[in-house]
Amino acid sequence: MSDNQANLGETIKRVLADETDVRSATAPHQQDFPYDREEEAQVTRREFCNFLGLTSAALFVGAAGFAGKAALDARSTPQSPATKIAGAEVLAPGSSLNFHYPAMNDSAILVRTLDGQFHAFGQKCTHLSCPVYFERAHQRLECPCHDGAFDAKTGNVLYGPPPRPLDSIKLEVREGEVWALGREASSGERSS
Amino acid sequence: MQNGNDPTKPQAGRNQTGAGRTAVAQARLILLVMVNVAQLWILAATVEAALARRFSALLPLVIASGICFVITLTLIFWWRPSSRRFTSSGYVKR
Repeated sequence: MSDNQANLGETIKRVLADETDVRSATAPHQQDFPYDREEEAQVTRREFCNFLGLTSAALFVGAAGFAGKAALDARSTPQSPATKIAGAEVLAPGSSLNFHYPAMNDSAILVRTLDGQFHAFGQKCTHLSCPVYFERAHQRLECPCHDGAFDAKTGNVLYGPPPRPLDSIKLEVREGEVWALGREASSGERSS
Repeated sequence: MQNGNDPTKPQAGRNQTGAGRTAVAQARLILLVMVNVAQLWILAATVEAALARRFSALLPLVIASGICFVITLTLIFWWRPSSRRFTSSGYVKR
């Protein structure tokens, strides 16, 4: 026990000596660039006030920017050309297939329910845009991020935090092939 | 020693003024932090409303954030301790 204490004491002395060595070694440099570590760590009240002012400006710009971008995106109507979904014709009932529609960065999910019907939805959860997946055991679409779930036939919210149904994709079966005809986002406005 | 010549009297008065100024400065800081927290909440609500496509809620939220920003500017530039006057050349004693 006493050996340990002696070792600890020696270690502390060595560390403090190192610190002294560092300070003496950097003394000429500190003459040219005088700064004190402890003083530098302190933030004055004025600096903190200015920082809070800048933070407030950044939060305002962020809110305005996000709202503006959302409003612009809602006004622009993307082109949704008819597109054949490759691999859909061999999809077994009770399973799903991922595809992109209308653009390559718009992920979507095609579900074939147990009754053989096809349903397609945007894959982004309407809560915070996590990708949803088809849960075979319960035959529903689930979001792994915040435990939300959607009906696999309608895209409506079953439970969880999502505020609106999934984006729906119109489908048409032409001679055994499944075609996507358009994508529509539902509104989250609450009816009074 | 006479009361008027008591060296402790003016010192005590100055300390009281200093304490008052510190209280005002602390209150100002606390208000600024509270406004920042409110703005953070407004930003989160804006993001959620945008993702939920509730566009009718976006404008009021942005306006509320703007009002908070104006309050912050007011607190930083105009809300000062009343015991001293501020001019472009510095603080002027009354």
